Amino acid sequence: MKTTQIFLLAAITLLMTTTQVNAQQTGHQIMQKVYSIPSGEDTEGNLTMTLTNNRGEQRIRTLKQYIKDDGQTEKKIMFFTAPADVRNTAFMNWSYSDGRSDDQWIYLPALKRTRRISSDGKNDSFMGSDFTYDDLGDRHPDQDSHQLLREETIGERECFVIESTPKEEDYIYSKTLTWVMKDNFIGLKREFYDDRGKLLKVLHIKAFDKIDGFWTILETEMYNVQKEHRTNMKFTEVQKNKGISDNKFTERSMTIGY
Amino acid sequence: MMKHIIIISTLILLFWQLPLKAQEERGIEINGFARNYTGVLTGSENEFSIIQNTFNLSFEKKKPSVGFKVNPYLYHYFDRELELGLREAYLDLRFDNLDLRIGKQQIIYGKADGVFITDVVSPKDLREFLLPDFEEIRMGVTAVKANYYFGNNTIEAVWVPLFTPTQMPGDASIWKPEMPYPVMPSFDYSTSEIIPRLENSELFLRFSSMASKADFELVGGYFWADDPALHLTKQIDPVTMQLTGLTVRPDYHRLMMGGGSIGIPIGPIVLRSEGGYYSGKHFQTAALTVPDATIEKDYLHYMIGVDYTLAGIKLSTQFIQENILSYEEGILNDQLENTMTFLAKKDFLRERLWIELFAYTGLKHWDALIRPKISWLFADGFDIQVGANIFTGDEGRFGQYHENTMVYSKIKYSF
Repeated sequence: MKTTQIFLLAAITLLMTTTQVNAQQTGHQIMQKVYSIPSGEDTEGNLTMTLTNNRGEQRIRTLKQYIKDDGQTEKKIMFFTAPADVRNTAFMNWSYSDGRSDDQWIYLPALKRTRRISSDGKNDSFMGSDFTYDDLGDRHPDQDSHQLLREETIGERECFVIESTPKEEDYIYSKTLTWVMKDNFIGLKREFYDDRGKLLKVLHIKAFDKIDGFWTILETEMYNVQKEHRTNMKFTEVQKNKGISDNKFTERSMTIGY
Repeated sequence: MMKHIIIISTLILLFWQLPLKAQEERGIEINGFARNYTGVLTGSENEFSIIQNTFNLSFEKKKPSVGFKVNPYLYHYFDRELELGLREAYLDLRFDNLDLRIGKQQIIYGKADGVFITDVVSPKDLREFLLPDFEEIRMGVTAVKANYYFGNNTIEAVWVPLFTPTQMPGDASIWKPEMPYPVMPSFDYSTSEIIPRLENSELFLRFSSMASKADFELVGGYFWADDPALHLTKQIDPVTMQLTGLTVRPDYHRLMMGGGSIGIPIGPIVLRSEGGYYSGKHFQTAALTVPDATIEKDYLHYMIGVDYTLAGIKLSTQFIQENILSYEEGILNDQLENTMTFLAKKDFLRERLWIELFAYTGLKHWDALIRPKISWLFADGFDIQVGANIFTGDEGRFGQYHENTMVYSKIKYSF
């Protein structure tokens, strides 16, 4: 009897461990698929960012952005078009697949000078919005441990719910939960938890479509649960694979403008 | 007066009439700002140091192969003539790997903040010392600028046919620098003009490169010093051998400069450095063996600085050294002049509120200019700023203005 109980306990433990390992692998695989969704070699479009505070007051920022990815280096350049006091400011980022730190530059039209800035501020807010620079980038799945928690339906969309825990200790979030659509592996919703484990922000994808054959997010909103303010980002006039020249990602381009 | 009314009316008409036509039909971008700047001296009787109303307008058109920009501005003061000027007015021509810019333009070199080391193409408007925004301190020069691009490298050649000197404060200005003369001098301006002819042109060359590991630029120039050398003629009483009079003759001299600057990201910091070697710079001397009290020396000016962000606060510091080479006793400047700058800046309320502290410190006299300010973005494009310009010390570059400590407000609407 005792032997049978021990055998049964061992079998259950083994089964639980195996299930957990499978779930973990599946979670990672799902997030790898999210990361690997083809986005085209280059993208250009306009971005309108609406910042709403807890009193409902709105501020609007607009910019034009160009992105080019050759598999080794992703180059992004943004030209601010409004409001007037930041018009013609340009920001350029080069990020590398080999794990090197990003290179970043900013062009300030009042100073007529392109200046290198440290890319260490990934946790800083992007233009005063609820997005950090890191939220806007592609975080590699290997930087987190992933676990498939459950499956859920949002609206009519069936999703996997993945919990991702950062491997580095000083990351801004203690964990994130991502709802990934089963049919196209686009993240539909993400919750960000602060370093005390409390819900900090919720990201909703409000519109997406296939543009020039590639799944593309067209509207997204980040809601800061703790401060009760939100940022809506709307992408318009999006074009893919139009053959953006490398010259777009140079000092000349930053100086001349969009 | 009538002329000013016509100019202002024309500007207002342009401003009101052009946007619809221009933006819709011609694609001309119109932007600018209106600003009130009021400063009060904190010493003695709370005198106004400045009440300035500014209207700055920029018309700009960018097409793939051509473009232009015209940037008129208007300064209105309570105690001075209305001032109307053109900060920039140029035409752009763009080819595959070559850009040409012709006309009045601001040309900026180097990587230092708040100091001018290799940044010698655009002269400076120092009528309000170093207090205006740098966009307004740097004056446009009429020039032809050619940029040739290959990869992330640029070769830039600049030809400046007309010399423009530094604008210095007037005699009645509180920013007029201390004059180190034992008697009140008279001035002889007979040699203080550079005749506009081809051989009096200025030439500059720059190579710049922007890469993952570092950005750098190498620059060289053959130009006129923007500040005149002050040649003195002493009148001495032959009986008493006492100095009875002094004539100051400002004269501009040619300079050659070679230098460079670099910006390197190292982990969380960005290291910046800039240096310039000047050949043929004139200094004032008290040496009796030099009759006109000016002496020509080579001169080294360099800076090393660091940018860092800590807990969301943008921090920056720079060490700047000016070194007169082959120094001789009697030269009024010290052989070495060391200055440091500090910057701390942080935003709050999602970039609606900015708190900033910038300071220059002279390391010999321990004099300083400390500039705290708070900016409140009342609405998009509408900025309210309050701050202070605090001068400490009694002598030195900043201490000489110790009576000019002021508090100020700036209200600015950008459109």
